[in-house]
Amino acid sequence: MKTRQIAATLLAAGVFAGAIAGTAAGVTTATHTAQVTRGVRAGAAAVGTAGGRAAGAAACDPKASSLRPAGPAQASPGSYAATIKARGFLIAGVDQSTYHFGFLNPLNGQTEGFDIDMIDAIATAIFGRADASTVHFKAISDAQRIPAVTSGEVDVVAHTMTISCARLQLLDFSTVYFETGQRVLVQDDSTATSIADLKGRKVCATNGSLSLANAQARGAVGVGVPYWTDCLVLLQQGDVAAISTDDAILAGLTAQDPFTRIIGPRFTDEPYGLAISKQHPDFVRFVNAVLQQIRADGKWAASYRHWLGTPVPNPPAAQYAG
Amino acid sequence: MAVHVQAVREQQGVPGRSTPGRLRQLLWLLLAGCLAWGAVAAVTADQHASAASDVVAISEPLSLDAEQTYQNLSDADAVAASAFLAGGLEPAAQRDRYNADITAAGVKIESASALVGGSAARSGLPGALASQAAGTGKAVGDDLAILTAELPVYTGEVATARADNRVGLPLGAAYLREADGLLRGELLIAANDIYVRESALLTSASAQATGLPLLATALVLGLALCVAIVVTGRWLSRRTHRTLNTGLLGAFIVGVLALAWLAAAFGIGRSHLLSAQQHGSIPAQTYADAEVSALRAHTDEALTLINNAGDDSYEKDFAAQQQRLGRLLQSLSTNGPAPSSIAGASALTPAMLDQEWTRAHHALRALDNGGNHAAAVQEALTGQAAITFERFSGSLTGGITYSQATFADSARKGRDAFTGLAIGMIVAALLMAAACLWGLNRRLAEYR
Repeated sequence: MKTRQIAATLLAAGVFAGAIAGTAAGVTTATHTAQVTRGVRAGAAAVGTAGGRAAGAAACDPKASSLRPAGPAQASPGSYAATIKARGFLIAGVDQSTYHFGFLNPLNGQTEGFDIDMIDAIATAIFGRADASTVHFKAISDAQRIPAVTSGEVDVVAHTMTISCARLQLLDFSTVYFETGQRVLVQDDSTATSIADLKGRKVCATNGSLSLANAQARGAVGVGVPYWTDCLVLLQQGDVAAISTDDAILAGLTAQDPFTRIIGPRFTDEPYGLAISKQHPDFVRFVNAVLQQIRADGKWAASYRHWLGTPVPNPPAAQYAG
Repeated sequence: MAVHVQAVREQQGVPGRSTPGRLRQLLWLLLAGCLAWGAVAAVTADQHASAASDVVAISEPLSLDAEQTYQNLSDADAVAASAFLAGGLEPAAQRDRYNADITAAGVKIESASALVGGSAARSGLPGALASQAAGTGKAVGDDLAILTAELPVYTGEVATARADNRVGLPLGAAYLREADGLLRGELLIAANDIYVRESALLTSASAQATGLPLLATALVLGLALCVAIVVTGRWLSRRTHRTLNTGLLGAFIVGVLALAWLAAAFGIGRSHLLSAQQHGSIPAQTYADAEVSALRAHTDEALTLINNAGDDSYEKDFAAQQQRLGRLLQSLSTNGPAPSSIAGASALTPAMLDQEWTRAHHALRALDNGGNHAAAVQEALTGQAAITFERFSGSLTGGITYSQATFADSARKGRDAFTGLAIGMIVAALLMAAACLWGLNRRLAEYR
């Protein structure tokens, strides 16, 4: 800066003149250091230790713990089904991101899938029809399934939910409406052939699912996310080596990415049931009657064919506790 | 002549004691005083002037760019979520707006990267401010590196989300969530960091331009110098019985005028700069913060619908953003400009418009929670929630533009008050020195 140079010259001249007159001057400088802070992107949380599967209090058979129907599915006076009918709509807790079971179809904005068909069958039994006015879907994550039922927020949960002895302590289930088992999904270029090859590697599953604990129990490093599609994002981006859960769910993921494949044998047995509050045993009987009806009249098989393809197996036989 | 005899006697004695000896010593002292004061005054004027022009210079390119980048990114995310909500065939207007936002952010990041290269060596930044600017420049460089690296990742994820959505895969929603997480978790944090740092630099520059210590020193020294000139003049008139020394009188007048100029320039500059802060940069920042919160809340609204999370994390964030908005709008209602003073603004305050939007949002949530997802989506896309949000967001944008114009205007006025001041001080000091030299030399000549 010119001004500064002139000022400096002036100062020098002044100091010179001052020196003659016997004066002096001093200069001080100060410095500051800017602090550097940085935000770090929080990734998916890796789950450290295996949760383990809580064993049921007593020896229990998850597949044969439900209540026998009292008769055909009718909303008889005083029943919980009658309460729902009086309210005007059924409230169902469902998934909206699990392809072919419960998902929000981007093409038509509707919630659809095999689980949704089960709900529609219940609504039809109560109201004679299943549409937006008689069924209110409440989207919930895996981790919210149990609280949604126990709090009474929803009447029923249809959400690829495995009947387990630990869960039976907290809520009731319908009879088994779908049977599957846990397997592993990898990208086509993976060398793994089963869960055994994934020891010490990152395997994705949803928080609140039994799959996460099952994978960890077999030596994998669990990575928990909210939704199954989040797992597929992580797999596609190379952040996890595999996804492990029920093969029915994995089939939905493969359908969205043909460059993935399901490997290895089923290493767990996962019977799905519809979850209902322990407050309403009569509604469990009602739902079981509905399931019995669709097993018999071919609606179960039609839904299976539509969503999950052929060959269509026989529906799981209803078994009751006592 | 008795006086002459005494003068001759003194001339032969000890130099310090004799009149010419004293006179010579006084002359040197006055010269040293004038030049030293000139230097101090020039440095003072220069520091204030350069800090004032820095207030203008810093605010204009970098912090404004950072703030706009933040807004562009937030807007892009809100538009991406809203367009996604519309389904496979997203509205052309929203696609264009998203593209424009991303392009604008990209251009700003690039131009900011170019600026940061020279930011450490910003012209005329004095001492502490220069090293603060250097530190800021380095940190900002790191932030810009993050923005440069992550922006393409973000747009890639949004593109994947769209492609999946278009073929009807639920995976699209997961990619959109991932993209939103990246934007909030990294891009916005980096952009905000730049903004905060540049704002701090702006505050420092403003404090430097309006700070008192250096100026007080210059004024006190100047006054002391004027007093010294008067005292010398009186001493001289007693010793020589001459009534007035023209040279010293001239030096005194120049000194007083220079001091008056310095004080006036500083007073005017300071008041403009303080007003720029009070009525410009502070409300502009509050408006910008509010707009960012509003955009985030708008994204939350769309993501709650898209995600169907069930876990209400986005809806919780909506409430958190609304709380933050409440605070910001409250402070604007006391410190911000009246809505009527903003051209084209609605008669309603931003706070009222926000309330309208919040009401529409709750109606939308009631629809969705009641199981009527499709109606809720329609509400978010074209219904009352969409209309009220646009009005609210527009009121904030208007406020930002208005406050920034106020700031730029006042800051420029503040800078202009210092124009020519440093050179003026140097010229004044030289004139004073010359006048002292001339006036005292004429007396000294009488002893030769």
